Amino acid sequence: MWLDRSSSGEKWKVRPDGEEKVTGKLRYLTDMTFPDMLYGRVLRSTVPHARILSIDTSVALEYPGVIAVLTHRDIPGLNGFGISIPDQPVFCDALVRFEGDAIAAVAAMTEEIAEKALSLIKVDYEPLQTLDTPELALQPTAPKLHKDGNILHQTDYQRGDINEGFKQCTYVIEETYITPRQMHTYLETEGGIFVPSQEGRLTVYAPTQHGYKDRMQLARILACEEEQIRVISSPIGGSFGGKDELNVQPYGALLALYCHQPVKMHYSRWESVKAGLKRHPMEITMKTGVNADGEIIAHQVQILSDTGAYSTLGGPVLNFATEHAVGPYQIPHVDVKGKAVYTNNGISGEFRGFGGNQVIFALEGQLDRLAEKLKIDPWELRKKNLRKLNDLGPMGQRVVPTNGPEQVWEAVKHSPLWEKKKTQSNFSKPWIKRGIGAALAMHGSGLGYGIPDHAGGLIRLNKEGKIEVAFGHEEFGQGLLGTLEILLQDHFCCDKDDLSIVIGDTDLVPPSGSSTASRTTNVVWQALNRLKGPFLEALFTKVNELTGCPVETLKTGPGGIWADVNEEEELVITYSELGKNGVAELECSTDFHFPVTPDPFTGGHYLYTSTSVIAEVEVNLLTGTVKVIRMDHAVAAGPVINPMGYVGQIEGGSVMALGFTLSEDAMMNDGKYVTQNLDTYLVPTIFDVPEEQYVHAIEELPDGDSFGPRGVGEVGSVALAPAIVSAIKEATGIWVTKLPVNRELLQKTPFLTLWGEGVEEGTK
Amino acid sequence: MSQKGNRIRVEKETEYLLSFELNGESVEIPVDPSRRLVDIIRTDLDLTGTKISCEIGRCGACMVLVNGKQQNSCLTMAYQCDGKKIQTIEGISTDRIDPVQQAFLEEGGFQCGYCTPGMIVSLKALLKENPKATMEDLKEGLSGNLCRCTGYGGIYRVLRRLTDK
Repeated sequence: MWLDRSSSGEKWKVRPDGEEKVTGKLRYLTDMTFPDMLYGRVLRSTVPHARILSIDTSVALEYPGVIAVLTHRDIPGLNGFGISIPDQPVFCDALVRFEGDAIAAVAAMTEEIAEKALSLIKVDYEPLQTLDTPELALQPTAPKLHKDGNILHQTDYQRGDINEGFKQCTYVIEETYITPRQMHTYLETEGGIFVPSQEGRLTVYAPTQHGYKDRMQLARILACEEEQIRVISSPIGGSFGGKDELNVQPYGALLALYCHQPVKMHYSRWESVKAGLKRHPMEITMKTGVNADGEIIAHQVQILSDTGAYSTLGGPVLNFATEHAVGPYQIPHVDVKGKAVYTNNGISGEFRGFGGNQVIFALEGQLDRLAEKLKIDPWELRKKNLRKLNDLGPMGQRVVPTNGPEQVWEAVKHSPLWEKKKTQSNFSKPWIKRGIGAALAMHGSGLGYGIPDHAGGLIRLNKEGKIEVAFGHEEFGQGLLGTLEILLQDHFCCDKDDLSIVIGDTDLVPPSGSSTASRTTNVVWQALNRLKGPFLEALFTKVNELTGCPVETLKTGPGGIWADVNEEEELVITYSELGKNGVAELECSTDFHFPVTPDPFTGGHYLYTSTSVIAEVEVNLLTGTVKVIRMDHAVAAGPVINPMGYVGQIEGGSVMALGFTLSEDAMMNDGKYVTQNLDTYLVPTIFDVPEEQYVHAIEELPDGDSFGPRGVGEVGSVALAPAIVSAIKEATGIWVTKLPVNRELLQKTPFLTLWGEGVEEGTK
Repeated sequence: MSQKGNRIRVEKETEYLLSFELNGESVEIPVDPSRRLVDIIRTDLDLTGTKISCEIGRCGACMVLVNGKQQNSCLTMAYQCDGKKIQTIEGISTDRIDPVQQAFLEEGGFQCGYCTPGMIVSLKALLKENPKATMEDLKEGLSGNLCRCTGYGGIYRVLRRLTDK
């Protein structure tokens, strides 16, 4: 089904948070102010690697209007944070490991005074060698960035006998693929406001993707009980993984507690670039062999991942890349080795797609190159090797049966580009070349084996007479509120005004796990299925007590509880009357674990979403510009709950991938960011994006599947790059191996050709 | 330990009094003549529908109308606003939702919503200047407004609707 407004019917709905957003009335957390608030700023290192000889804050502290200047000496608890390993210091004490490292923080009465105070803090550094590539950091003589050395994490997955496998191959392709340091570029930069209470509690208003995790990390830094902290974390002006880790929170929290006053922080774009996470740049070498029949026999992969100065989720990202380097293909001999390496570069971390984007670009590139060797259609080569319904997962783990890859393989043919691919285009401008390419992928949801992945939720009839649900999830634009409203109206046939949805506030919601890893829609769907029965039972028992209506005649509806009386439906009691009659027993909660494979492969997934993409590009050989003319996605993710949200996730993910492929790279030179703002870091504008982009949603799940909707938050971003690169090859004959695509590589240089130097670099 | 009370009076001492019209009401405010309009709107007047993001005029999140024309308020200084009519997102719809806003609501023209006020302000200016604007005209007019969430898919649906007379 092409998913759009007309095919969605009544489920294509205006979002509950829509009106506030289009009128500008919504207060984001960075829009909030409190009386007597101070302004917080962080002093960051100016050098990527250095020993700190001294920090002198005395002059800054004397400056009129400065209330506090804090350094590592002022941290009551752990001087460290990091979701997986807390190896990032809140404030550096002896060593600076990257340009964005924090040295001190200032609270002042105005932003201008805070800015001035930063310039008055004197730090003496003794510069050390900058390890600005993983290769350099891996040299035996390289200085150690962390006590265990410069390797954060290694992976090693093998099956079969790789050497034996290659002996059976007729063709072998070996290629190295390089991916950029992509920036999330949420429009709302990191920020928030931190408000201490007289009772000693602290309320944190700052975006995150997991409020309870922030609370735990902050309690560790502040050396207090978690319950002393309240984290309010929605609404959020975009995140894409980038606000999953702590950012402003440690500084705002410490300053607010020291000053006993609200402290506001809001990073400038440059500070966000410098201090924030990026997608891991990876160098991926793949050696893949097929036999004469086109069966992939052996697949050897080496992944080198630049995790930057600190770990955050660099380890799990590498696990994910390792698993997805095998993809949806059935291959007997596999050897995947990965290394995530600390460097003095900016921190790499969690980002939509989570390591899948990089390896899928490489893997799909291998399939296209092998098809060329075999002289067969690359789509047929995929079909020949694609997993079947009951096959094991990429790491040999049991997975929920899925024929998603076969479904999306077939569905790509619904795009008009599929037929167009077979026709020859004629252009009046000989320097314009067109090509069409396609790729597919399977992408895991949930955190994977071995990582606690708790889920849960709560439902109640509240005192105001609303059916209220509470989830520890966040709304960063993806449409969670809309999804919940649709699910609740489906379950309870009530009006939207009968609902109250509570998220993003640790004082009000139960732990539901993170809003990451394409897991949230699945979590709330499962939770509501679990909660519905007990909640209705409690509700109807209460109504029966109050009205005497038999429980079996009752149902929920608009405004209240309805009963079938003499074959007519009548309103028995309104929700608001029910609410006034005491609601203590009308509350149910659930907690459970996200579905996980029983087989012990760390990070291995159990639930998958599949996608295929077909894209048409136009390459201008004079300028090297690649313009995407159209791109269509097929997505197999089970039932569509919220069509507007679903389409939006795929379109948005896809265009983020367009940037990853064609224009985005947070460039660093000698450990320093060169691209410091949106004048040089180029996210796609409306002009870079095709007007034609459609999403084909495949809702059918295998018989007996009870897992419901799979997530679609990431999958739109994972398969476009190889499709574009394949289209570029068709247009120009050039295989691209490094992203973003270097225009110079695609430029015909007529003058050089005249002089006999027209070398087509990169042509293989 | 590095903290103490070092409080001062921070009221601005300025001889400059900025007078302009904001969303139909006249405003007089003492500010530094070089203070950025975005700070006057967001901080001094607490109208936070206008957003702040790149601060160098590349993203359009802070777009406002100055005498009816789209302008990045991060690149506009107080003295440049003297006597001007300025409209922010808060002035676009006073009692009912504007058709441009309605199109964003119904077509999925936003997700996180942070770029949305700027987008809507830009479109209002373009349509006011040319009610018969074509798709290409509107695209041109939105080339200074970045959206990171939608991939412009929903925004294209909005533009189709606004140009499909």
